[in-house]
Amino acid sequence: MFGNSVLQLNDSVYKLNKIDSIQFETLKFYVSAIEFWNNSAPVWIEPNSFHLMDASDSNTLKLAFKVPSDMIYAEIKFKLGIDSLTNVSGAIGGDLDPIKGMYWTWQSGYVNFKLEGKSNLCRSRKHEFQFHLGGYTHPYNSLQTISLLTSNLQDVSIKFDLKTFLSDVDLENKPSVMSPNKDALILSNQLGKLFKIKE
Amino acid sequence: MNWRRNVSVCLLFICVSAFVTSKDGLFNIPLNWPKPNYNFSKNPLTKDKIDLGRALFYDPILSQNNTISCSSCHSQFTAFAHVDHALSHGIYDRIGTRNAPVLINLAWNKTFMWDGAINHLDMQALAPISHPDEMGESIEHVIYKLNQSKIYHHLFFKAFGDSIASGEHLLKAISQFMLTLVSANSKYDSLKRKESVFTRQEKNGYKLYKQNCASCHTEPLFTNQKFENNGLPLDLELKDFGRMKVTQNPNDSLKFKVPTLRNIEFSYPYMHDGRFKNLNAVLDHYTTGIVKSKTLALQLEQPIVLSANEKIDLISFLLTLSDKKFLFNTEFGYPKNILLSLPKD
Ligand code: HEC
Ligand code: HEC
Repeated sequence: MFGNSVLQLNDSVYKLNKIDSIQFETLKFYVSAIEFWNNSAPVWIEPNSFHLMDASDSNTLKLAFKVPSDMIYAEIKFKLGIDSLTNVSGAIGGDLDPIKGMYWTWQSGYVNFKLEGKSNLCRSRKHEFQFHLGGYTHPYNSLQTISLLTSNLQDVSIKFDLKTFLSDVDLENKPSVMSPNKDALILSNQLGKLFKIKE
Repeated sequence: MNWRRNVSVCLLFICVSAFVTSKDGLFNIPLNWPKPNYNFSKNPLTKDKIDLGRALFYDPILSQNNTISCSSCHSQFTAFAHVDHALSHGIYDRIGTRNAPVLINLAWNKTFMWDGAINHLDMQALAPISHPDEMGESIEHVIYKLNQSKIYHHLFFKAFGDSIASGEHLLKAISQFMLTLVSANSKYDSLKRKESVFTRQEKNGYKLYKQNCASCHTEPLFTNQKFENNGLPLDLELKDFGRMKVTQNPNDSLKFKVPTLRNIEFSYPYMHDGRFKNLNAVLDHYTTGIVKSKTLALQLEQPIVLSANEKIDLISFLLTLSDKKFLFNTEFGYPKNILLSLPKD
């Protein structure tokens, strides 16, 4: 989402305020450790739960789960990013395969969240911005745990608003964060708060 | 080994996986060595996977202009270090910023690279493949190229039962080959097995090593795998602060991973930037060249004192760490036979 509109990559232009314009090229992130909770206890935990969400491939944005038919839950929990154990476990296939472009090559670790695009606000080359957020070691562990209360039992839509995210970012002076550090941690903490249930 | 079964489930598991790696002779833990750090149960060695990894290690297909292979910088005759280059050379003769280390006994490594930036052997190959000054490729494109090749269809199928290459399989296969690079057949090792004896010089050198060097270059791997500042002055051009780049912690400034001293005879030039051409220069550094700074290792705060004769003795001991059998082991060389036995592209 961006403000009130559904996000489109590439051609669509978005505005934070009147004078700027923003275009998105890449939005990819990992959702992992999905759990359904009821009465403060987990009722269903997805095994081997790692999903790469890629805005350029709408199929990846929908997740379906095979759960017991009578399951009741009031809360969905998941993590934004990849936990530290998985980060040190060597080569893994599927959505975690490093060919998915979500692995740092010069310093081991998964990129939890990647957002790239252009904006006239950025003073960088070609006005590009890049946010590759990750980091699995203390004190820059950027993994986020997200818990959302919901009353829907069939189809749950979760949204997050990039507009809020970018409003907090200093696009002008810090248009890129590309390694695990303090900036990545701060931005990740902000991102974690932006996931909401769409009623 | 059966007695362990009664102790705990966890030990039983170690017991079983150690058994699997040694039964087929693909990987043996040398006598009195610690348990490897690599988790073989997630990537069990097989002959076909090792062969695939070896083919990849020697194949310039991994580089952007198909000119550089892993072996261009890691050559068997120098225990897989870079022959006589201080800073390694990559595609289009671009020069990197660090000296290529030996590739031996990697199954015991806890971290990789001089600053430990890589956390797992499987992930190591990604770094040179995508480094613009090394192989300048992307893993995505390497996989694409491999999937165009009949030879690799064949090799991937034999290894993984799937002729389509994936990043996971590529990386695991390269790891398998590197895991087999165990060097434990030096004169020092045969002495430990009571199969030979040191000369008087070597014996004295061993004593001096134990006094001055063993706290960091610890037996039997000749490294304690820690990050230390051994008092090298900062190179003002390269400005390499080592471990600090990874942890962003100022206490790690100028610390580098303690390298092994095994096969040190062949892995010159020395140090992370290859600044010393020979072992004499290294010893001169330890006796008279130490630069004091906040992060300097405690052991090196008092200068190491070695007479000219003692230096000669110490070097004669270091030369007993050379493993010629390893350097000339045909199992580790260019995989002519593997490639010849296959259909041509
Ligand atoms: C252009 C030269 C070059 C090429 C090509 C190259 N390497 Fe390296 N390698 C290096 C250098 C330099 C280092 C040390 C870098 C550092 O510490 O920052 C290194 C480090 C390593 C290490 C870490 C060893 C340790 O003890 O920490 C391994 C393992 C390794 N390389 C394997 C490979 C593999 C596998 C390939 C092929 C996919 C490869 N290298 C290709 C130059 C090269
Ligand atoms: C406090 C720990 C420490 C002690 C004690 C120490 N070293 Fe080192 N040694 C290191 C570190 C760290 C490096 C890598 C430094 C770098 O490249 O920046 C190193 C590098 C070396 C190298 C270069 C290896 C290569 O592959 O490039 C040699 C040779 C060496 N040491 C020999 C010795 C000898 C001989 C002694 C005893 C006189 C000794 N060291 C004592 C920590 C130590």
